[in-house]
Amino acid sequence: MFEVFYKIFLCLRTKTFCHFSALFQKRFQQLSSILSNFLILFQNNKMVKKISSKNCHNLQKKIFIFFLAFFGLTQLSFSTDIDKEEDLSELSFESSKPNIYDPYEKYNRQIYNFNEKIDIYFFEKIAQAYRFSVPKPARNSVNNFFTNLYSPISGFNSLAQGKTENALATFSSFFINSTLGCLGLFDVAKKKNISYQFEDLGQTLAYHGLKSSPYLVLPLLGPSTGVDFVGLTTEKLANPLGFDIFNTNSLASSPRITMNSLNLVSNREELLDTIKEIRKNSFDSYALVRTAYLQRRKNQINN
Amino acid sequence: MKLFLKISFIIILFFSNKALAQNIEVQNFIQDFGNKIISIASDKKSKENQKKQHIIDLIDRNIDAKWIAKFVLGSHYKTATDNQKEQFFSLYRQFMINTYAPKFNGYNGKKFAVNNVSKQSSFFLVQAQFYPKDNQNPINLDFRVKEQNKKLVIVDFIAEGVSLLETQRSEFDSTIKNTGIEKFLLDLNAKINTL
Repeated sequence: MFEVFYKIFLCLRTKTFCHFSALFQKRFQQLSSILSNFLILFQNNKMVKKISSKNCHNLQKKIFIFFLAFFGLTQLSFSTDIDKEEDLSELSFESSKPNIYDPYEKYNRQIYNFNEKIDIYFFEKIAQAYRFSVPKPARNSVNNFFTNLYSPISGFNSLAQGKTENALATFSSFFINSTLGCLGLFDVAKKKNISYQFEDLGQTLAYHGLKSSPYLVLPLLGPSTGVDFVGLTTEKLANPLGFDIFNTNSLASSPRITMNSLNLVSNREELLDTIKEIRKNSFDSYALVRTAYLQRRKNQINN
Repeated sequence: MKLFLKISFIIILFFSNKALAQNIEVQNFIQDFGNKIISIASDKKSKENQKKQHIIDLIDRNIDAKWIAKFVLGSHYKTATDNQKEQFFSLYRQFMINTYAPKFNGYNGKKFAVNNVSKQSSFFLVQAQFYPKDNQNPINLDFRVKEQNKKLVIVDFIAEGVSLLETQRSEFDSTIKNTGIEKFLLDLNAKINTL
């Protein structure tokens, strides 16, 4: 009999138990402090007498014994050092952990390197020249104009996701900025505290269940996923400045190209500092951009 | 039975009060951290070296660099030798200081506000916003806070939905798989000197 108890005692002191108990140690410590406060309260109110009296209810007795047993068990692990036992290798923050599914990594890396070279020698230079030559208020107006132009698409996507409040705010913002804000050059709606979250078709598709698609790096366009690529292409066909594959008239397509180019330069200018930081600080910028992109998308979809 | 209900009520009340008090404590901790960054960054009297030292002190006091280093090393923590681990902890702290000190120092903010605190398993998630001086859109910056030895410490920054820890863990994992941990430590050392 003694041997059995001794073995149980040894089992309780194994690493597994200590690890388990260490994780819950703080909660138990809180519990013990609560219990001691609780007992003081009992003593002050002469309730202890009631508890210990013969008339005490069986259920209450069981609860009291359970608390004492619980408290006693926790004492076994009080000497365990949490920091030594904590294993962080498998730990992740589920709320921000991206689902990295990159079956085409080899090709994606090649396209990423190609994009980097084009960006360093061409797009970055143009964006720097744009920042240098155009004052900030004018750059903000250009940015406002394109944000406003795309906002109806965002509004319809909000509706498709059942976010009616966001859709209403988006359409209100579009109406106010297109009229009072001189075709969207000034964000008057924001000054009236009307703000909305931008929703695209990729988010709508993910909202309706198309969440797992491979990570892709698109030539010149950068990081994306299979679903986002479908969303992007559809939106480009639908929006007033998007691709017009049926119209080859150069006069009609010329302003379209100019507007698209300006939008591209404006977007790139906004990312000048961020991309500079990534290039400066990272060891593997491809892995960093991939994780950051997937996390951000997950956050946008969940919001 | 009435006594049982009373006991349950007192326990629930105690737990809820404790949770609320903890949330307020976490909120004050992050609010204080944000305010200090703004105050150091906007301090025009101190020299650059003094400001940098203030930021290093702030990082050492409020951020658990060792815990973060352990987390970002991920599965490689198990295979690394004790010497490599110690070397990594030391290098990572320096990497963190060299990366974040200039950012904190150059921050041009007018206000920092904590909007919400919630408990997620053993961590607190604090949602906050930095308001730039030039009336641009506020920057969403969330913090993950942990209680370590009865002291609150920051273990993650989440900027616009992107977690520093998850991003670095993925990046370091990819690099170590390609080059091995020894080479990675050398590269980390070289990178620190260029920052």
